[in-house]
Amino acid sequence: MAEKPLTEQESLLIIQQMINRAKSNFVDTGIGPMLWGAVITICSLVQAAKIYFDLEMNFDIWLLALFALVPQVFISIKERRERKAKGWDDDIMSYVWTCFGISVFLVNFINNRISIELSPAIEAYRAAGNTIQSTWSFASCFLLLVFGFPTIITGAARKQRWMLAGGIFCWVSVIIAAFTPTYVDFMLMAFAATLSWLIPGMIIRKKYLQQKTTHV
Amino acid sequence: MFKDLDPILHSQLRLAVMSLLIGVKEAEFTFIKDKTGSTAGNLSVQITKLKEAGYVEVIKQFKDNYPQTICKITAEGITAFETYVKALQSYLPK
Repeated sequence: MAEKPLTEQESLLIIQQMINRAKSNFVDTGIGPMLWGAVITICSLVQAAKIYFDLEMNFDIWLLALFALVPQVFISIKERRERKAKGWDDDIMSYVWTCFGISVFLVNFINNRISIELSPAIEAYRAAGNTIQSTWSFASCFLLLVFGFPTIITGAARKQRWMLAGGIFCWVSVIIAAFTPTYVDFMLMAFAATLSWLIPGMIIRKKYLQQKTTHV
Repeated sequence: MFKDLDPILHSQLRLAVMSLLIGVKEAEFTFIKDKTGSTAGNLSVQITKLKEAGYVEVIKQFKDNYPQTICKITAEGITAFETYVKALQSYLPK
């Protein structure tokens, strides 16, 4: 950029161009949302199939989500290294998603405690010939509620319409899941994860690769 | 009534740097260089002028054993940029 006297119009043009260039800073690679979208979708679908077909499985499919933390750590480190500029909301987004991770852990902890405490009573109630849902049917509502928070915040802040729609779907699913059988709840969760993270992740990835090609 | 334009900001590269930095919390020197399309030497001179005016903060550190220069707009820089934009608006036909 050469130095020359500026007119007012040129000044405004520079300001506009540079603000747009700063906005198009491609730090979001989309791998994180794609990874978690795929993992939660797979886990939820397997869980739904397990319940619906009464399958015997010797392992907990949700361990996959725990294993996904390993590549996530590497992705975060790599993205941080590649990042050449830090946006005003980057720290806030990190806090939001860290709080989300902790919330999911705590909700699962509470759900497990409820299940352990209430299962004997439910079994006894069923043994008497009554019909009642398992506690997990309602546990998925709490998870969907937690899924919605960071997704809506990120979708609104980063102007990701698919993510925003996915987050809203999570909250709508909370109400639906309160009335549906457990396997349907997990299918809702699978759909919510696809809509909230997998599809937006693929869109972000496509944009990232396009921007990378144009900047080479 | 036309307002005076800040001579520090009324320069193509310095204005470009300030416009970039207003949109981010902080940026590496290489990021600014890529986005403005300037040479390292010229950019370094202009950033030093902005630093001397108190409009940007320059942090020099090491990242993975390589020197890294980070630039941040200061509160004074934000005020100066806003004043410059307002002054610029007075020159535009209404």
